Amino acid sequence: MSLSPTKQSDHERQVQVRKPFTDDHNSILTGEQYLVRQPVAIYLGYSIMATTAPIVEKDAPLKAVQLEALVVMKVIKHCASRFPTTATGSLVGMDINGTLEITNTFPFPVVDLPPEAQYEQQHFNSAAAAPRAKSNTAYQTEMIRMLREVNVDANNVGWYTSANLGNFVNANFIENQYHYQKELNERTVALVHDVSRSSQGILSIKAFRLSPQFMTAYKENKFTTENLLKSGLKYTDILVEIPVTVHNSHLVNTFLHQVPRMLASGAMKPPTSVDEIENNPVVKNDTLAPTFESLSINIDPYLSQTADNLLDSIETHHVESNNFSYYQRALAREQAKIQQWQAKRKAENAARALSKQAPLPEDEWQKLFKLPTEPSRLESMLNSRQVEQYARQVDGFVAATSGKMFSVRGNLLPGDGKEE
Amino acid sequence: MAEQDGFIHLGRPLPSAGAQPTIAPLRVVIQPQALFSILDHCTRRPLDQPRVIGTLLGTRSDADESQIVVHSSFAVSHTETTDQVEVDMEYQKAMLALHLRASPKEVLVGWYATSSELNTFSALIQNHYSSQGEGTYPYPAIHVTVACEPGKDIEVRSYISSSVGVSPERAADSAAFIPVPYTVNYSETDRAGIETLENAKDNDSQTTTVLTEIENLERSLEDTLGMLDRVSKYVENVVEEETEPSTALGQFLLNTLALAPKVDPADIEKDFNNHIQDVLTVSYLANMIRTQMDLSNRLATAQLTMGSGDGAAAGAGSTEKDGRRQNRQGGGGGGQTRQNRAESVSLANI
Repeated sequence: MSLSPTKQSDHERQVQVRKPFTDDHNSILTGEQYLVRQPVAIYLGYSIMATTAPIVEKDAPLKAVQLEALVVMKVIKHCASRFPTTATGSLVGMDINGTLEITNTFPFPVVDLPPEAQYEQQHFNSAAAAPRAKSNTAYQTEMIRMLREVNVDANNVGWYTSANLGNFVNANFIENQYHYQKELNERTVALVHDVSRSSQGILSIKAFRLSPQFMTAYKENKFTTENLLKSGLKYTDILVEIPVTVHNSHLVNTFLHQVPRMLASGAMKPPTSVDEIENNPVVKNDTLAPTFESLSINIDPYLSQTADNLLDSIETHHVESNNFSYYQRALAREQAKIQQWQAKRKAENAARALSKQAPLPEDEWQKLFKLPTEPSRLESMLNSRQVEQYARQVDGFVAATSGKMFSVRGNLLPGDGKEE
Repeated sequence: MAEQDGFIHLGRPLPSAGAQPTIAPLRVVIQPQALFSILDHCTRRPLDQPRVIGTLLGTRSDADESQIVVHSSFAVSHTETTDQVEVDMEYQKAMLALHLRASPKEVLVGWYATSSELNTFSALIQNHYSSQGEGTYPYPAIHVTVACEPGKDIEVRSYISSSVGVSPERAADSAAFIPVPYTVNYSETDRAGIETLENAKDNDSQTTTVLTEIENLERSLEDTLGMLDRVSKYVENVVEEETEPSTALGQFLLNTLALAPKVDPADIEKDFNNHIQDVLTVSYLANMIRTQMDLSNRLATAQLTMGSGDGAAAGAGSTEKDGRRQNRQGGGGGGQTRQNRAESVSLANI
C-alpha cells in the first residue's frame, strides 16, 4: 500500500496510518477464549475512499521538511554511535501540502558489501551505500510493513546520513538520493546530520533533494562538456536544500515543560554557605540548565579539520583536471592522425581523379580511428559543490568566532573595546 | 525529574526459580530516544484503547548487571478486553529480529505500557517478558509505565517483578511489581538536539527552525545578558536594603568575579591577532578555492562565443578553449598541450 498522501482532510490521514484489519492470527497469551477480530466497516469505507481519491497536487514541490522530536533524537543517537564512520537509515512520514512531515525513522543494518557497490573503491564504507543496497530495500519494506501495524505513518519519505564537517557531497550521496527519487517515490529527501558540528553544541541537520535538471542529466549519465553546455547545468544546481523545522508533539512538549520544573518553581531560600551553592542538587541535576558551550572559543580543531578537507578537495580537483587534460591530449593526437589520413586520402583521390578512377570514400576514417571517450565531469561538479559547502560552513563559523574573539578582547583590554 | 513518591530501594526480590546471579539493587537509565518513542506511540494509539504496550531494548552493564540502559523501544500491538488480553507475539518477535539486525548490541530488557495502572494483565505480560526462552531470563524484565493522561503531568515509573505465592494455577497472571529508581540520561551529542526541542517548546506552533551558528551565539549572549541583569538587580536590591543580604551569595559572586584572568594586554593583543589571522585566513582560502574551482570548471565548459573582454584570465581561457573546440570539431591539429593551462595556473595561485 503505497498511498501518496493527497487530500488533507483529517480522516483521510487517519485512514492512511490505520492498520488494515488483516486476519493474520496473533498468538494469544491467555487461553480463555478466542475472539475473532471484527473488521470495522467504517474503516473499510474510508480506505476505499482513500484509494480511489484522485491524486491532487502530485507535482507541487516540496516546500519544507518538518522533523518530529523523535526523529531528531533517533538520528542523533544513531549517527553519534557510528561516528566517525557513516551511519544511514530510513525515514518514514507523510507529505502534507508540500510539507514533508517526517515522523519516525529506523537505522539500516550494516551489511556485507553487495557486489554492485564495489566500484566505490576509495574510502569505501558499506553503510554509505546501504540505502540503495538490495538487502536493505527488503529490510526497509519489512520494517515499514511492521510499523504500519502500529499506526506509524508508513510511507517511505527518504533517508538520512551522518557527515563530518559537511563532507557529504560525494558520489555515494548522489547515487543514494537518485535511487530514492527515481525508484521509490519522487518526493523523498536526504537528511544530513553533521555529527562534528552538533557536538559543538549547535544542532546541524539539513535536508536535500536532487534538482529535476540534475535528475534528468544523471539518468542519461552524460556529463560531457557538450552536454553540460547544452543543459547549462552548474554545480550549484545539483542539490536543492529544503528548510527544516523541528516539531514537538503535545506529549513531548508536556514532558519537556515538566523537566526544569524544579528550578523554575518560585524563589529559593537563601543559601547558608558557598559550598551549598556549588553543590546544590537542584542545580546540579537540572538536565536542561543552560550551558554556554556555544560561547566557548574553540577554533583550532575546527580550522585544521576544514583545512584538511579543503586540501582533499584540491587533490580531487587536480586529479580530475589532469584526467581531463590527458583526455584532451589523446584526443588531439587522434585528431592529428585523422587529419593526416584525410589529407592523404584527398591526395590519393586527386590522383585517382586524374587517372579517371572512381574516388575512394573520404569518411572511412570513422572506422579506422576511435576517438577517446570524454571523462565524466560529474566528479568535478560534485567536488565544486563540496567546496562550496565547506566555504559556506567556514563563513558561518568565522562570523560567530570573530564576534566572540572581539568581545573577549574588548573585555580583557580595558579601555579598548568599551564603547558604552 | 522529581520522583512522584519516595521509596527505599534496597535490593532485588529473590528470583522465582533457578539461580539469579545477584540481588544487588538495580538502576534503570532511560534514554530520551526510548521515551520519545513511547510518547509517540501513545499519540498513535487506537482511539478505543486506553493503553498501548511495547518492547524496551537496551544494554546491561557488564560487571554485575546492576544497571540497565534503555536505548530504544518499539510498539507492539495488543488488544485488551475486560477478561482477556491479546499480545501480538509474532509481531514482537519479528520486530525484535529486525531491530537486532540494525543494532546487534541491544537486547530485550523489558516492556512499557502507557498507563500507570498495574493489573492482572500487566502481571501476565510481565511474566511473559521475563520468562525463559524468549524473555529476559535469568535477568529481571523491567516494566516502565508512562502515564500520559490529558491534563496531567507525564508520570514515568519503572518496576521489576517477583512472583508471589498464590495458588499455582494463578502463578502465570500474578506478580509483585517492585518500583526501582530510574533516571533519564542523555549523552553529550544529544544535548544539541534537546536544546533545539527546548526552543520549540515555548512556541505556540510547537515548531522551530534549526538555528545557524550566529543565531545560536545571539541566543547564548541574550541568555547571559539576562542572567547578568538578574544578578545585578539582586545586588542592587541588597545595596538598597530591599532584599535580605546573604553572605554566602556575596562570597560566591566574589569568587566568580575573581575568575576573570589577569593578563598582560600585550599578550592578549598578540594571541588575539594570531588567532584572528588563522580564522580569517582559512575563511579567505576556502572562498578563494571555491572561486578558483568554479572558474576552472567554467572554463572547461565555457561557451564558444564567450566574450573577449572578460579580463585577462577569462580571455586567455576562452581563446584556448576556442582553439580546442575548433580542433575537436574541425579535426585540426596541434597546440593541444596547453588547453588546461588556465586551470593549473589558477590552482598554482592558491
